[in-house]
Amino acid sequence: MKALKRATPITWARLAVFVGVFLAFALIDGRFATVNNVYTIFEGFAWLGLGAMAVGITIIAGEFDLSVGSAAAVAGILSVKFIGGLGLLPTVILVGLIGMAFGAMQGWLIYRLRIASLVFTLGSLIALRGLAYMISNERTVVMQDLEVAKAVKRQLFIFSPFSLTTIAIFVVIGLFLRYHRYGREVFAVGGGRNEAIAAGVPLARPLITAFALSGTCAALTGALSTIKSGSASPFGFEQLLLPAVTAALIGGVSLFGGKGTAPGIAVGALTIRFLNSGLSLRGSPYYVITLATGTLLIVVVLLELVLDRPELRDRIRLRRLRRAMARETGAG
Amino acid sequence: MRGRGERLEEAALAAARDAARIRTSRIATLAIVGGAVVVLFVVGWLTTPQFLQWPNLRNVVRSAAMIGMIALGMTFITLSGNFFSLSVAQTGAFSAIAFAFMMSWGWPLPLALLAVLAGALLVGAAQGGLVALGGNPIVVTLGVGAGLFGLGSVLTDNKTIRHGNTAADWMGTGRPLGIPTQTWAFIILCIIAAIVLSRTRFGRNVLFVGGNKFAAASSGIRPSRVAIQVFAISAFAASIAGLFLSAQFGEGRLDSFTGDDINAIAAILVGGAALQGGEGSPLRTALGAVFIAALENLMVLRQYAFGVRKLWVGVAILVAVSLFNYLRSRARTT
Repeated sequence: MKALKRATPITWARLAVFVGVFLAFALIDGRFATVNNVYTIFEGFAWLGLGAMAVGITIIAGEFDLSVGSAAAVAGILSVKFIGGLGLLPTVILVGLIGMAFGAMQGWLIYRLRIASLVFTLGSLIALRGLAYMISNERTVVMQDLEVAKAVKRQLFIFSPFSLTTIAIFVVIGLFLRYHRYGREVFAVGGGRNEAIAAGVPLARPLITAFALSGTCAALTGALSTIKSGSASPFGFEQLLLPAVTAALIGGVSLFGGKGTAPGIAVGALTIRFLNSGLSLRGSPYYVITLATGTLLIVVVLLELVLDRPELRDRIRLRRLRRAMARETGAG
Repeated sequence: MRGRGERLEEAALAAARDAARIRTSRIATLAIVGGAVVVLFVVGWLTTPQFLQWPNLRNVVRSAAMIGMIALGMTFITLSGNFFSLSVAQTGAFSAIAFAFMMSWGWPLPLALLAVLAGALLVGAAQGGLVALGGNPIVVTLGVGAGLFGLGSVLTDNKTIRHGNTAADWMGTGRPLGIPTQTWAFIILCIIAAIVLSRTRFGRNVLFVGGNKFAAASSGIRPSRVAIQVFAISAFAASIAGLFLSAQFGEGRLDSFTGDDINAIAAILVGGAALQGGEGSPLRTALGAVFIAALENLMVLRQYAFGVRKLWVGVAILVAVSLFNYLRSRARTT
């Protein structure tokens, strides 16, 4: 309730888009608001929601992780390799830990070398993609035991074990960010880095935390989606970045850092999923969906730049004031 | 107590020392980039006989020209402190499609060229406008790139547009003095970019804004105008590359520049431009493009697998960025 009272116009705008997109498709297409289709939407949410979280956390920290798609591809191939010997749960945990370790290393290097994370993760974006091709021998790898895949996507009303797992992971990370000190430090260094450092936040810790969480989310995106579909290809997840960034921004993650919530990212990811599902029900090819997502991203950026920046409105007010004063002096 | 004159002298001396240090570090960076290209060619010559043969070299030069033209335009974005653009590949491909359409409608060649370039300038300026408003350049260009790709797919129904019009053939396949037209365009663009950056007020403004946005703004330069200009230049350069490709193959295809945005960024980074802006040169970016194209070609000749090639390009970027970053921070503090 407190959150609702604090809600700004742009939060309401976001919720309106979220509900509006759902209602619009529900009215246009009778198949949209059915249990089966909502189940499909949630299956895709698991993929997109964790991806959006992966990018979103680093944007909140005032950084940017471009490498999530490539990291997910590597994680997918690793899971296919591990699952035969290890079984379902250990594989997911192991791949998640590898992602966390990689992310932590990436965060530490970015801190140590003082390189813009954008540049550093561009390097790892390319290198990890190469690694994915190498460890898969440039082929799509397939799981031997497809029973696991069937089990995880068994439909339980609108959910499946798969989507419930991802939602649980989402909640855990959300709570960590919101209530744990390490999580709150991520917001602090994203919102006002110099102030945070002056207040005694060691910069290394939040950076490592943010990139470690990002790596974990990216790896879990790859592992879980791969286990569900039963195969992983080295060129997989190449298109993850665009919808992930769009979802995070629709969800209220600020490009200026320091702002964003897990429920917001979930709302953003679901909005994108509604759009995807509605468009594909109507038989639109993938590139129409890309066009729609790209347009949405630009609209969200515009909205944030105009609606969510008090200083911009102040500048307009100041200009008006100056003009009025000039008129006064001119008249007097 | 020291006199005022003495203190002023000391300050002037410190400034001169700084300037000398920066000059040395610039020369060192150019030497490193040039040295890396030379080493790569020597390694290629020693290990792979066909690498330095003229037909292969011409391929290297042609692909360096395509990456290089895109990279030269994007260098302006990087120098102005706006990182990079992720929409150049789509801008190039969209220009190729638009050009193919216009040729198939029988438009005269100059009109088609002008229309495509003007369109690219507009799209670039629009992205610059969003960045000027405070948008993150990566996110803005990611969105616009996706929009261009989607729009292009819808317009072409995701098919290749062959125009069968021979008016532009010389532009794509001609070889004045035995050198492909693309390479000539690349060299000319490189010279123009170098002159614009070092000899014009606009060029100095770009470097100034990139070096210190607030200082530039308070001395009367508008960073927002510079942002619009540099993104327009980048789209313009990508569009030129698209026109050459379309003319070379007589077609427009949406996937014709896949991966070239990353290659162009790689060229800029290997060329040692400072990511925070303000430092870098078109000549070094051009050398970076030659390095990336030659590296890619050499690895193909040596039959490296696709994944291994990607991995090495990534490693080259990480090494270059870390090394130049280290050199620059040393030049600033010691």
